[in-house]
Amino acid sequence: MGRYILRRLVQGVITVWFIATATFFAMHNVPGDPLQSDKAVSAEIRANLEARYGLDKPLMEQYFIYLANMAQGDFGISFTQQNREVNDIIAEHFRISAALGILAIAFAALGGILWGALTALYRNRLPDIVIMLLVILGISVPGFVFAGLGQLGVVNLNAALGFTLFPVGGWGTVSHMIVPALVLGLGTMAFLTRLMRSSMLEIANADFLRTARAKGLPANRIFRKHQLRNAILPVVTVLGPSIAAITTGGFVVELVFAIPGLGRYFVQAVQQSDYTVIMGTTVFYGAFLVFMVIVVDIIYGFVDPRVRLE
Amino acid sequence: MALLEVSDLHVEFDTYGGTVHAVRGVDFRLDEGQTLAIVGESGCGKSVTVQSFTGLIPMPPGRIVRGGATLRGHDILGGGRIDGKEVRGREIGMIFQDPMTSLNPTMTIGDQIAEPLQVHAGMKRRTAHARAVELLEMTRIPEPAKRAEQYPFEFSGGMLQRAMIAMALSCEPSVLIADEPTTALDVTIQAQILDLMVDLQRENGMAIALITHDLGVVARMADEVLVMYAGQVVERGSVDDVFYRSAHPYTLGLKAAMPTNQSEGEQDLQPIDGSPPDLFAPPEGCGYAARCPFAMEACQGPPPVYGIRAAAADAYDHESRCWLHHEDCDIAAEGVHKGE
Repeated sequence: MGRYILRRLVQGVITVWFIATATFFAMHNVPGDPLQSDKAVSAEIRANLEARYGLDKPLMEQYFIYLANMAQGDFGISFTQQNREVNDIIAEHFRISAALGILAIAFAALGGILWGALTALYRNRLPDIVIMLLVILGISVPGFVFAGLGQLGVVNLNAALGFTLFPVGGWGTVSHMIVPALVLGLGTMAFLTRLMRSSMLEIANADFLRTARAKGLPANRIFRKHQLRNAILPVVTVLGPSIAAITTGGFVVELVFAIPGLGRYFVQAVQQSDYTVIMGTTVFYGAFLVFMVIVVDIIYGFVDPRVRLE
Repeated sequence: MALLEVSDLHVEFDTYGGTVHAVRGVDFRLDEGQTLAIVGESGCGKSVTVQSFTGLIPMPPGRIVRGGATLRGHDILGGGRIDGKEVRGREIGMIFQDPMTSLNPTMTIGDQIAEPLQVHAGMKRRTAHARAVELLEMTRIPEPAKRAEQYPFEFSGGMLQRAMIAMALSCEPSVLIADEPTTALDVTIQAQILDLMVDLQRENGMAIALITHDLGVVARMADEVLVMYAGQVVERGSVDDVFYRSAHPYTLGLKAAMPTNQSEGEQDLQPIDGSPPDLFAPPEGCGYAARCPFAMEACQGPPPVYGIRAAAADAYDHESRCWLHHEDCDIAAEGVHKGE
C-alpha cells in the first residue's frame, strides 16, 4: 500500500513536470509577451524591463531557472498585477474554487447515484422517463445557459419570497454557494445518473443477485448490500476526472455569478500573456488533477477488493 | 405427506416475439432425505420449473399461469412464507450452475455465508461469522478461518461451489435445490462436489432436487428421475426404472447420446436429430414426435400419461407420456419398455 502510493506520487511528479515543460514552451511560442501594452515603450525601456524579468536570457536558460524556482515552490510574481505573488493568487482564490467545486461534486455524485438508482428501479415507468429526459437536457445544454437560468430563477424566487434567500452573485456565505454549485455540478450529475442507471440495470441481471434472493434476504438488504455497492463502482472510477473537470472548468460559472475564484485569473493570465500566472495556475491545476486521480484510485481499492494496491 | 410437492405448474414468458410456454404442467413430489433428478436437454424447462416456484424468475416477463407448490402442506408458490417466515434460504437452500458469478464480488465469503444466519436465525454478526467458518470447514475447505476473510475472486471454481453449498445449507434447510451444480466445473472437481452433497445429505437428511443434463450424475445421485422435454415431464420413475426399463423414446435418445467407457459393441454416440420444438407455439401433440423414430399418426394428439408400473412399497411410480403404451398400439418399438 505504502509502496503503491509512493510509486503513484513519483509518477505524478513526472506528469506535473511534463505539464510544466509543455506549457512553458507552448506559452513562449505564442506571439506577444507580458511586457506588451497599449502605451508605446521605447526600445531602451523595454530592454531594461526584459533584463529585469530575465526575459532577455536564452529560452532554455529561462526554462531551467523556472524549474529550479518551481522545485522550491516559488512560482514568481505576476507580471500584470503589481506586487502579487502567484502563490498568493493561488492560495487566495483556489480556496474559493475548491469550496465551490467540492460542493458541486457532492451534488453531482449524490444526485447522480440517487437519480441513477431511482431510474433503474422505475425502469421504463414515468419517473424513469422524466428523469432521463432531464438528463439529456443536462448533458447537452452548456453550463453558461444553466448559469443564466439559475440566476433568473434566483431573481424570481427572491422576488416571490420578498427577501433574498439566495444572492444573485458574489461570494461569502453558504447561501452564495448553493446555486452556483448546483449549476456547476449539473452536467456531471446528468452524466453520472446515466452511468449509474446503466450500471444498476446491468447488475440487476447478475447471478449473485439471484443468489441473494435465493438466500431469502429482505429486498432492501439485497438492494443496499448487493446491488448498490457493485453498481457504484463505475461511478467511483469517473469521479477523479469529474472532480478535476468541475474544479478547473468552473470559470464560466464563476464569471456569471461574480465569484472571485481561480478560474478567472487563469483565463485573464492567458489573455495577458502573464507568464508566471499561466505557469503557476496550469502547473497547480495539473498537480491537483494528478493528485485527485491518485486519491480516487486509493478509494477504489477500498470499494472493490479485486483492485489490489500493490 | 410429501415434503415438497409441485403440481400442475404452468409458466410462461412474455417476450417481444410472443409468449413462450416454458413449463406446461409439471408435477413432482420430494420426500425427506430423497434425491430427485430432473433431466433433459437445454431449454426444456428444468431451471424454470424450480426457479419459478421459488420466485427467482423475473416477473414480468415471467408469469406462473397456474399450479401449486407446497412445503409440508403450506403453500409456497412464488417463494412465499410459512408463518410469516421466509422459505428461501431457511427451508429451501439453492446452489447454481456458475459459482464464479453467483457470489457477490465485493463481499467476503464469510460475510456472504453469515448473511442468511443473521437474517433468518437472528444471529449477531460475530456468532454468524464463527458459524460461517464452521460451515466452510464442513464443506472441506482448508484453512476455513482464513478463507472466510477472502473475496470470491481469491477462490477457485470448485472452492466457490463449496462456499455456495455452505451458504445454501447455513440455515439447515430441508430441501436443497441444485441447479446444474457441476456443469461449470471440471470433471474431478465435479466428483468431489457430488460426493460432498451426498455426504451432507446423509448427515442432515435433507432432500435434494438436482437439475442436470448429465446422466452420469443422475445415476450416481438420484433416487427418482424426472425426464423433461418441451416443458413437460415425459417419463418419471426410480433411477433403475428410468435407466434400465426406459419407457419413453426421448429417454432412450438421451441414453444413446451418453458417452460410456464400455468398449463392448464400440457404439458411436447417437445424437438426437433436430432440436426441441418452438415453445412460442408448442405442438398440440407430443413435443418429441418430430424427432421420434417411432412417431405415428396418433402422436399428433396429446399423449396421455401411462402408468408402466405402480409404486411398490419401496419404489416410485413409473410413468411415461407416450402413445406407444396405448393398449391398441402394436408397434414393436425396440428398446422401449412397455411393462410386464
